[in-house]
Amino acid sequence: MTLNYCILIVGYIFGFYMAWNIGANDVANSMASAVGAKAITIRQAVFIAGILNVLGAIFIGSHVTNTIRKGIVSAEILADPQVALIGALSALLAAALWVSFATWKSLPVSTTHAIVGAMIGFGIMAGGFSVIKWGKLAAVVISWIISPFFSIVIAFIMFKVIVRLIISKKNQFTKALNLSPYFVGLTIFVIILSFLFKTPLGKKLSIETPAALAVSLILSIIFGIICKNLLSRFIKKKSTNTAETIFKRIQIGTSCYVALAQGANDVANAIGPLAVIYFIVKTGNVGATVPVPFFLLFFGGIGIACGIAMAGHRVMDTIGSKITTLTNTRGFAIDFAAATTVLVASKMGLPVSTTHATVGGVLGVGLARGIEAVNFRIIFKIMLYWFLTVPAAALTSMAIFKILQLIL
Amino acid sequence: MRIPFMSMFIASPFDGLQEHAEKVKECAWTFQQAIECHISEKCKTFEEFRQDVIRMESEADAIKRSIRGHLPKGTLMPVDKFQLFRYLREQDSVLDAVEDALDWLSYRSIPGIPEELQKDFFLLVDANIDPIEELSTMVSEARKYFKNFSEKQRTLVKDIIRNLRRQEHEADKVEAMLKAKILNMDIDPVTIFHMIMLAEIIGSIADHAENAGDMMRAMIAK
Repeated sequence: MTLNYCILIVGYIFGFYMAWNIGANDVANSMASAVGAKAITIRQAVFIAGILNVLGAIFIGSHVTNTIRKGIVSAEILADPQVALIGALSALLAAALWVSFATWKSLPVSTTHAIVGAMIGFGIMAGGFSVIKWGKLAAVVISWIISPFFSIVIAFIMFKVIVRLIISKKNQFTKALNLSPYFVGLTIFVIILSFLFKTPLGKKLSIETPAALAVSLILSIIFGIICKNLLSRFIKKKSTNTAETIFKRIQIGTSCYVALAQGANDVANAIGPLAVIYFIVKTGNVGATVPVPFFLLFFGGIGIACGIAMAGHRVMDTIGSKITTLTNTRGFAIDFAAATTVLVASKMGLPVSTTHATVGGVLGVGLARGIEAVNFRIIFKIMLYWFLTVPAAALTSMAIFKILQLIL
Repeated sequence: MRIPFMSMFIASPFDGLQEHAEKVKECAWTFQQAIECHISEKCKTFEEFRQDVIRMESEADAIKRSIRGHLPKGTLMPVDKFQLFRYLREQDSVLDAVEDALDWLSYRSIPGIPEELQKDFFLLVDANIDPIEELSTMVSEARKYFKNFSEKQRTLVKDIIRNLRRQEHEADKVEAMLKAKILNMDIDPVTIFHMIMLAEIIGSIADHAENAGDMMRAMIAK
């Protein structure tokens, strides 16, 4: 079975490459608002994103991954291990190819979409069109439209609330300090809920919805009060202080969350197909779900961290110098909208990326007239590429599958 | 780099607006020096000052074009795009008027401004410089308003606009007085025409500054 080991090695290389790409490109979307608003420096952003992505991938990333992401393709195609092996490899190659192409051409393409498209292509080649669950696919596509708009609405409301209650007031610093437990509490509430609902860690605890709500509520109240005490202790009262000073501290927390969630969510994009290959090579067959060994998650997390470490600095530098009009209150509204959108979408079982949610958040604040200049029409271009990626990656995956079948 | 987050942000037109306003201010000072130079017999550098203003005017034009050319359709801003363009046009007209005044003066530098009018022209120039200097303050205060939307900040901008209006009114009075004086002088008609036009062009500087203020008022309207 030396051939299978060769395939496994190729799988490792391309899985690492995908993880590297997630680190190099996608991570900027989660840290961008914090870097743009100067809540953290570039060095800190690279450091936080690297560490938290690895931690997120290892400890809260899926230890049991759906081999075919989110059940868009029926599991019966996996019956023949040889087909599944070639399929997983071609999906990985196709996704990697598309991500490289998108990076080269600067197209706003998400890795999630590339891998979903590639998996569909593999499904069609292995089992024909009947194995594709079109209903599920439609739900996924709809979620790509709904999630940015949901995020727009939340960011819009959040920003308007901040303007109305805090920054338009004369004593905005004291107002921000007094209201900070509510904003921190609300954020913590969303964060805890999303970890309870979304991650395997939360599923292991198997807390019911009402109980989860109660736990989150109590914890968020406690954290809110603690945060207020910390804020009033560490931030000296100065006349130069504004609400931004307070939100600058709060935003460090929200960007940490986004980095952690991203590691947990996106690591599966890179190592999902790799896990299938690994499992077939090791055991000879594969089911609808495979346990992902710890070292594979670690491998994926390290790949993401490598991407961040090698390219993150350049990306964040560009962001920091280009996005100068973002302030901390705006950054907070964006982060909050993104986190909430990801939570709600995940609760409904829809695969959304943090990227979509962040894009929506920016536009929401822009619609609330909070940013000096935002290009709204770019969202249509972004959406077009989201839709084009799926069939394009599917076709590439199909072609690679055919070629591999001839060779192997 | 394929980062959707970044492609949404475009260079803020307010940076350009601020830069443009600074150019206008810089020009105003040079303009003042040029007029002083022209009136005092000893000064030979009037032409240099005029060339300076022409250079600054073309630099400001480049800023204006870059603002207009770099706002794609569907740009979200705190203000309406065309309000911004109207404002920019008025702010640019201030510069044009400054340049026109110096040009007009250069067409007939000898005999220059009659001695009995010199004091009045100094007064007129000063009255017109004041509103120009307010413009850049107004832009930076308005930017602060778009950051925090506070009523206090809005009142501050409104005060500046009110001030502009008052200064324009003052400049108008000086201009009217000067014109009446020129028309009642017993000098050759060509000089009268030259001086009347000069007073008119200099007087229009404050008018454009006031118009800019009015457009700013529309921009910060709720």
